[in-house]
Amino acid sequence: MVRRAAVFAMVTTAVAVATPSRLVLAETPEKIAYFESKVRPLLLAQCIECHGEKQQKGGLRLDSRAAWLKGGELGPAIVPGKPDESLLIKAVRYQDKDLKMPPKKALLPKEVEILVEWVRQGAVDPRKDSVGAVASPINAEWEAAFQKRLDWWSLKPLKPIEAPKPFEGPWGLEPIDRFIMAGFDAAKLRPAPQTEPEVLLRRLSFVLTGLPPTPAMRERFLLNLQRAESKSYEGLVDELLASPHFGERFARHWMDVVRYTDTYGYEWDNPAKGSHEYRDYLIRAFNGDLPYDHFVREQLAGDLLAKPRINTEFGINESLIGPMFYHMGEHRHGSSLVFNGVHQDMVNNKIEAFSRAFLATTVACSRCHDHKLEAVSQRDYYALGAVFMTPRWTSRVVDAPGKNDAAIQRLITLRTEIRQEMAKVWRLVAKNPDAWPASNLLKLLPPKAPAIEDIRYPLVRLMSEKGDIAAAWNTLIKEWRSTRAERQKHNQVFTLLADFSRPTMPVEWVTEGDGIRFGHVEDGTPLIALEGDTAFARLLPRGYHTHALSSKLPGALRMPPDHTVPGKRVSLKLAGGQFGGYLEMHENAFQGEEVSFLTNVQPQWRTFADKGRSNGITRITYDFATSSLNPNFPPRTGLAAGLPNNDFGFDKRSWISITGIVSHDGAATPLDTLDAFESLYEGAAPKTVEESHQRIHSWFTQAVFRWCDGKSRLGDQQVLDWLLTNKLLPNTAAPESGLAKLLAEYRRIEQGIAFPRTVNSMDERETAKAAYTLNIRGNVDAAGEMVQPDFLRMFASRNEVAKSTGSGRLELANSLVQADHPLTARVYVNRIWHWVMGSGLVATPDDFGRLGERPTHPELLDYLAGEFVREGWSTKKLIRRLVLTQTFRQAGTVTDDGRTRDPGNRFRHHYPTRRLEAEAIRDSMLAVSGRLDSQLYGRPIFPPRVAEDPAKRLFAGPLDGRGRRSVYLQMSIMEPPKFLVGFNLPDLRLPTGRRDETNVPAQALMLLNDPFVIAMARHWGQQLMKSSHATPEDRVRAMFVAAFARSPSDTELNRWSSAARDLASPGHADLMKDETAWANLGHAFFNAKEFLYYR
Amino acid sequence: MGQPWPCLLQCERVSVLPIMGRLTNVNRDTQAWPCPGRIVPTFSRRGFLQRSSLGFGWLAFNGLFANQTIAASHHVAKAKSIVFCFMDGGPSHVDTFDYKPMLKKHEGQKIGESAVSKRSQSAPNRVWLGSPWEFKQRGHSGLWVSDLFPKLGKVADELCVVRSMVGELPLHGQSNLLLHTGRSLGQAPSFGSWVSYGLGTVNHNLPGYVVLNNDWVPNGGLENFGSSYLPASHQATMMRAKGVPVDNIAPKDTAAIQRRKLALLAEQDAAFATVASDAKAIEGAIANYETAFRMQTEVPELADIRREPEAIRNLYGLDSKDEHQRYYATQALRARRMVEAGVRFIEITCPSFDGNNSPWDQHGMLKVNHEKNARVTEQSVAALIIDLKQRGLLDQTIVLWAGEMGRTPHTPAVSANCGRDHHVNGFTLCMAGGGFKGGMAYGETDEFGNAAVVNPLTVHDIHATLLHQLGIDHTKLTFRHGGRDQRLTDVHGEVIRALLV
Repeated sequence: MVRRAAVFAMVTTAVAVATPSRLVLAETPEKIAYFESKVRPLLLAQCIECHGEKQQKGGLRLDSRAAWLKGGELGPAIVPGKPDESLLIKAVRYQDKDLKMPPKKALLPKEVEILVEWVRQGAVDPRKDSVGAVASPINAEWEAAFQKRLDWWSLKPLKPIEAPKPFEGPWGLEPIDRFIMAGFDAAKLRPAPQTEPEVLLRRLSFVLTGLPPTPAMRERFLLNLQRAESKSYEGLVDELLASPHFGERFARHWMDVVRYTDTYGYEWDNPAKGSHEYRDYLIRAFNGDLPYDHFVREQLAGDLLAKPRINTEFGINESLIGPMFYHMGEHRHGSSLVFNGVHQDMVNNKIEAFSRAFLATTVACSRCHDHKLEAVSQRDYYALGAVFMTPRWTSRVVDAPGKNDAAIQRLITLRTEIRQEMAKVWRLVAKNPDAWPASNLLKLLPPKAPAIEDIRYPLVRLMSEKGDIAAAWNTLIKEWRSTRAERQKHNQVFTLLADFSRPTMPVEWVTEGDGIRFGHVEDGTPLIALEGDTAFARLLPRGYHTHALSSKLPGALRMPPDHTVPGKRVSLKLAGGQFGGYLEMHENAFQGEEVSFLTNVQPQWRTFADKGRSNGITRITYDFATSSLNPNFPPRTGLAAGLPNNDFGFDKRSWISITGIVSHDGAATPLDTLDAFESLYEGAAPKTVEESHQRIHSWFTQAVFRWCDGKSRLGDQQVLDWLLTNKLLPNTAAPESGLAKLLAEYRRIEQGIAFPRTVNSMDERETAKAAYTLNIRGNVDAAGEMVQPDFLRMFASRNEVAKSTGSGRLELANSLVQADHPLTARVYVNRIWHWVMGSGLVATPDDFGRLGERPTHPELLDYLAGEFVREGWSTKKLIRRLVLTQTFRQAGTVTDDGRTRDPGNRFRHHYPTRRLEAEAIRDSMLAVSGRLDSQLYGRPIFPPRVAEDPAKRLFAGPLDGRGRRSVYLQMSIMEPPKFLVGFNLPDLRLPTGRRDETNVPAQALMLLNDPFVIAMARHWGQQLMKSSHATPEDRVRAMFVAAFARSPSDTELNRWSSAARDLASPGHADLMKDETAWANLGHAFFNAKEFLYYR
Repeated sequence: MGQPWPCLLQCERVSVLPIMGRLTNVNRDTQAWPCPGRIVPTFSRRGFLQRSSLGFGWLAFNGLFANQTIAASHHVAKAKSIVFCFMDGGPSHVDTFDYKPMLKKHEGQKIGESAVSKRSQSAPNRVWLGSPWEFKQRGHSGLWVSDLFPKLGKVADELCVVRSMVGELPLHGQSNLLLHTGRSLGQAPSFGSWVSYGLGTVNHNLPGYVVLNNDWVPNGGLENFGSSYLPASHQATMMRAKGVPVDNIAPKDTAAIQRRKLALLAEQDAAFATVASDAKAIEGAIANYETAFRMQTEVPELADIRREPEAIRNLYGLDSKDEHQRYYATQALRARRMVEAGVRFIEITCPSFDGNNSPWDQHGMLKVNHEKNARVTEQSVAALIIDLKQRGLLDQTIVLWAGEMGRTPHTPAVSANCGRDHHVNGFTLCMAGGGFKGGMAYGETDEFGNAAVVNPLTVHDIHATLLHQLGIDHTKLTFRHGGRDQRLTDVHGEVIRALLV
């Protein structure tokens, strides 16, 4: 039994639980006697053997009060006074299938009753404490195990390694080869001869780009080889390393490691927002040879870097995309608030992926107990969980900062100019004493008085007044004053967090996106209409409007955890549309479904009451966001009314408005204080109907003049917006007018703004570090202590994660990229070796622990890791060195010695024949047939499907994926591309450093009959019809070069040419023009093992 | 061309022994249909497995040794195959096999706080809902079966009903994965994959695990049928009811053209094998073509039920006017043919007929749509049991009828169109054949059918018991992955002997 380290904190909890029952704890002589006569003998006879000094099964001792109060792994054994809540009683009652004590034979009913009675009476126990004696052996046991386990090859810091001495000959130059040669010498093996140039060419091309070499490349290489033998291969290496397809190839490798997907799986397979941005980020990172240390920092903490990496060519903040690493993998929908276990399972998946990808260590095992084999405790697991749970898991704008600033500034200027132009028009209207004749106003009035805050309220009352106008007026004023006073009083209970008289948000509330950054407006700022004849869509109330300049601009406001905001409730005055809305997130709910979309144009108060916490939920937060910044948009199909199932949320206009934030305890929300009417009621009462109409007229006029002068008063906006909405103010631009020109210009600039690029990343601004609940035995219903963020104890001396005021992710990342870190460089260098050579120096790239393989060449591994760090963590330099070695350039010939002494090729005495990965098979068919579209990047492309399922967003794409490489196919967890699955695309839920390579008849069936393969063969046939080959032999030769990167032998030439004749269409006169014959032959090429393997 | 078939027969013979079954099984991933005699002499077995292109040599090596202990503790199998009739979406237990008269009596009354459960979509103000169907005792055994299942009721004496199933989360994706993989998180091999991995197949032209499906992706995704970390050869082969039964099974070429291509490839590939570092992997790939070529005729023949006698076809319901019922009947009849052909694990999914997220998921319209689901499926399931029995195959074949959950005995408000919600706090599944006791009910829920109270069982117990009947000790069928010896039942599960003859 492995003991747990976290004993002491549990003692505290246990005591705290027990305190309420103190009343019944009084020790009386009677109770002590009862214990001594009945209870103690029973415990001794039935329990103490396993739960006493000698053994502590389940970590539990029952030989003292303190011991059972502390309890074992399941928590306190007894709650004094409460038999029904005591585990001991549950156990002896045999109530729980998993907890029956004593295990072999139940106690007699009367014995159970003795224990129940004892507990009910307060469980008086006079025995002396034994806890101290218990606690230390348990800790000492783990401590000893921990120290012992630190003594492991992969945990020893990297030290400089001296390479074996150079010697004569090609194997004596490059240190890597010398290490390998030393291994040969020890095992009495010899390397294979250097492989033929064409074989090497094909090998290199697949290793570096995942594509076959083009005939032109081959020709160039062979020509160079004739001219200058020594540099021609290096030239080829550099050419391929510089190819953009290199990035696609290695990004795909990394995508295996981080279990890349475009969707979140489970029931609804929702899109993972921005996944393709992360994929493209990887492609750029590998093509640009981003140093691995930086790559690590970006994926773990790209949002926290002081100097993010800005890609000026694409206008992207690259660093901010990195943390989408965390969002990979399957996400359960719903949240733990309803069903316990949701966030815990998700965090488990994240910890697993992180520790395997970067550390090749299995930390996820420690969810339930201290690791059985490695130096990882259960506490370590939960501390890492706290690191990952601290930040908000949400969408970020990855456009380069300031990308739209010029356009936005121009829009702001234009908006001001438009306003000024419109002011000229409105001023003229306001000067007209008959601008708003009573007859016009009357048409707008409802038969009954509307609500008191409605602009029409005094109009209805006054204009329909037949009697004493002055009296009516005075009544109105009185009513207005008293209501206003009441409402002002009502509003006093609200704590104003923001009224937006100035562009500030409450402290600790976080904002994102240009929509908020440029979204603050003063009362009455026009919202410019983006189409149609009108100039203004409306006049906005003061506050934040993400669409104030353009509804393309993204915007989000993120509330701190609800219980940290003062008051029991917080209310926001919100408006929104086009899938702008808000999201309630429980403990970062990974696929929360508490999403609401706003459909109101006029801001309305919405209240968010503090929620109760249950199931280990510590934080509930809200995001108010446009669709682009809603991390769960689009939600599962059916949850966003009006959104088609095939709309993945790209390029959507969306907006929200926030015009007030208050906190409060009661249920009511703030009321309108009727400011709009203040200027109406100034001055003496009118005496006639005409006078009252004049007052109304003047009310309007004054509001317009003030607006024109830029001196609006509180409430004017409501008056003016009412006038505008009811077409009582002009709102069109005369053709050719200055206003029209400005408007056109505004719309042109707005049109030019690109839709935002947003990805699911991390946001840790204004976020306090979060503790994460330890689950006893991994059981989500058994909450243990709260564990603070920290990194694995085995790296305690290397990091300052615990000292961070936040999650500590940056500190964690920084510690990983220390030059002598035992794992980071070793693990990565081994991955590269695996990808280049076919198997790693450590054959288990995801496990450097005790269940993994030991390195075949430990010194070489350390040497490479050291060199890698020394050369600036450059992936390309490392790969370049590897492919230039003699080791890489060996033939696949296996000698008898090699076969018998080292069948597994641990000593690298040949280069193994390797089957192409699934993607490379598909991509090769595209390339060889001429269908490949070399375009880089872009949104995921649906794979072909026999049946669609729109409710799960499983749509069918074109058979050939528009000729795009497989890396761009949509990786849906629910149904990944079938063709790729057939050739061992890894399980998209699991981090995979080394792919399986199965060999099954279904693959033969696919290659023979799959419509994609047939289509590519036909395409090749069509392309060949355009070629100018004179004879079938010429054509076969060209096909050999395209498919196998070599010329056929005479035998092969005959074999394939005669096959072409046999495969011709019956009765076709000219073989060279018989497309079917050549498509058939092409199909045979696709099935040839030489096509599917490289050696 | 011309892989010697006698070699294959040899494999067939050895695969009857569990340990050798595993050995050939492991090898099969590298070598299409290996003759053990050809592999072993060249290298030590460990050496071979470690260098194999399989990519999991070390793990397989471990597996082999673990296997030797399996061989020692394994027992004689009672059953050879499982047909799993998966009632996707969760049929209501209280409307099928778990008779609760109290529900009718208290219909419309609030369930109260004490009936609320985390394993159920529940709230105190919901009300009890009586079953719209009458219950009767059927057969000699007097097993309670409702009128929803008149045909299944007729085979009541064959049914071993468990009424005390307890799940984990009342959500489809999680519960589907739990039922199929033993983990509500998934990321683990499907039950069928484990069976295929553990037993191999007796017919080398057919896979060991087939899902009779109609391009339906259940909640939880295709992972329900996946092999996860087990070798990919153990993942399910999908066979659809409508259209071409199996992807890529229909030759795209005429036989003559295909033979000519294969002849060309045989010559070309043989030469490539001589220059490859691992000739055997290439030879395996070559041999796959031989099998594939045969599968092109054998699989469609197996799937072709047109030549079954009309009486049998009608027994399954192929004369139905409802196309969904015909799909299901087709699949059930194919399942029987596969049992005969030696397929180890066959799953039949339910047809989805109205764009519902999962067929039996009646949150509303319980009466109408449960009846439709019953009509589509129950006749064929009953027919399968009858048909297997009359052929003497039922003793060695387990028919498993199970959804991923049950349905709440309560509803927000009683109405003609009301339904029942998700419920894993006590639900029902049943088995027939394969050494399970017929005509019995095991376990009980409380008087409202709201919680399992007597003999609660988990999916792990069912998995353990089913594996037991197949001759496999669930604690010993393991595969090393992620740092531990993984098994279908994780660290849980007990063989429930009370269910067994």
